[in-house]
Amino acid sequence: MNPTRAAALLLLAPALLVIAIGLAAPLAWLLRFSLMLSETGIPVSDAVTPANYTRLLGDAFHMRVFAKTLGLSLLVTLFAMLLGYPLAHALWRISARWRGVLTIVVLSPLLVSIVVSSYGWLVILGTNGLVNRALLGLGLIQAPLKLLYTEGAIVLGLTHIVLPFMALSILAALERIDPRFAEAAAVLGAGRWSVLRHVTLPLALPGLIAGTTLAFSIAMSAYVTPAVLGPSGPNFIATTIYNEFVTLFDWGLGAAMAICLLVLGLGLVFAFLRLVYRVGGVAAAGRA
Amino acid sequence: MSTRNPLLWFVAALVLCFVLAPIVVVIVASFTQASVPEFPPSQWSLRWYAHALSQPVFRAAAWNSAVLAAIATLINIPIALMAAFALVRGRFPGREAIQTVLLAPLIVPAVVTGIAILLAFSAAGWRDAMSRLLLAHVVITLPYMVRTIMASLARLDPVAEEAAMTLGASPLRCFLHVTLPLVMPGLIAGAVFAFIVSFDNVSVSLFLTSARTSTLPIAVLGYVEYNIDPSIAALSTLLIGASLIAALLVERVVGLRRALGS
Repeated sequence: MNPTRAAALLLLAPALLVIAIGLAAPLAWLLRFSLMLSETGIPVSDAVTPANYTRLLGDAFHMRVFAKTLGLSLLVTLFAMLLGYPLAHALWRISARWRGVLTIVVLSPLLVSIVVSSYGWLVILGTNGLVNRALLGLGLIQAPLKLLYTEGAIVLGLTHIVLPFMALSILAALERIDPRFAEAAAVLGAGRWSVLRHVTLPLALPGLIAGTTLAFSIAMSAYVTPAVLGPSGPNFIATTIYNEFVTLFDWGLGAAMAICLLVLGLGLVFAFLRLVYRVGGVAAAGRA
Repeated sequence: MSTRNPLLWFVAALVLCFVLAPIVVVIVASFTQASVPEFPPSQWSLRWYAHALSQPVFRAAAWNSAVLAAIATLINIPIALMAAFALVRGRFPGREAIQTVLLAPLIVPAVVTGIAILLAFSAAGWRDAMSRLLLAHVVITLPYMVRTIMASLARLDPVAEEAAMTLGASPLRCFLHVTLPLVMPGLIAGAVFAFIVSFDNVSVSLFLTSARTSTLPIAVLGYVEYNIDPSIAALSTLLIGASLIAALLVERVVGLRRALGS
């Protein structure tokens, strides 16, 4: 039962209408608005001007926010990679009986609201929190450490959020590996670390790249984690945008920042697609 | 095979502790008697549950969130079903481009979506908070539904449909009595995910709630800024319970990973 072309387009019409009204038109207006001069959210002239962008790019404070966000997101991605691989490996190798439970545990940061897990980190990292009380109790420190409202807390919270995406991406690649490769390597005398390094990891590379892209783009546009766990004030791109809109009423600058975030995100996805194409080609060639 | 690699399993176990830490701490700390969250509590009590559930702010916000998530999901069921059917079964130029467009809300950073809707709808004179939120939530949950339904449709064996058609069923009858029951697991999984995504959303709702109309995550976020008393832990534990039930349901019906599209 296959729809004709006209029927298919008719069936797609409501979904396309939702995207047109709820996403495409608003984004087009956001772009237009970022190219206009406005005061407290109201355009003062229709003329197209790059003024908001030159103001944004020329401002050291905002450029620092961009640099800091990208730097911390890179760190988050790196940690997620290091922690995500063992998780993916465990999910891949665990017996079928435990796989369901483990899947729910690995995915739990996705299933539980970010607001909830951020609150959990508040309880763990606070002045009277779990970590400080344990360290004080053990006599390792004399006074509580400032763990909360730091950039370290942002990195910790975000790593927790992006970890499932990384683990699942790597797992998807691991599951496509022909088990005979590792067996062949083992028969030829490779030890388990050698198999991991020379067979499993290279073949998991496409998944690692996919996970990296997902993790970085999620971290880069995060709002809740930096807002709850980070230093007070604008500390990340998204929190700074919020600040421009809600506190400073500088909608022009906020709109320009939002467009920059969008372009960065889309650029990343395109770069990733190109890279996967290349690495995918290499992996396929290696398999042939 | 590197099945027996004790170090890797040990590291995996440590990582699992990290994954579960904030969730376990919230659940345990919610049962404290003290006025600050403690782990483990020195005295156990349910007082913060009573406190959280008696706050009018949270009750109103929770009601708004539930209504929004339910209506957005219900609106999306027919829309996503039709779109997924056309994308999986139709053969027409531009099919892949349309698929990308329908999945676009996943690629655009949520904060950007929120601001774009705020700016555009305000400029167009659309100021009612609840209806703006509803449209925004329909947009952000649509891709989850389209994707899960597409996955079930793609795995469906066309033999059953062909048999029904050969036996004289009309296309509509065939769809309602053969295709629809077969994609029902995917539909349910998609609906559960859409509900969770809508209910938990912060980054889009942030810009669209008003002083009088809030959602639960936004209300909690506002509360946490000034108080970290355990009422949030109690509320969070209730939310974790609800998420766990939903996750088990999806895992039972279709499998969580499949529903997430990986």
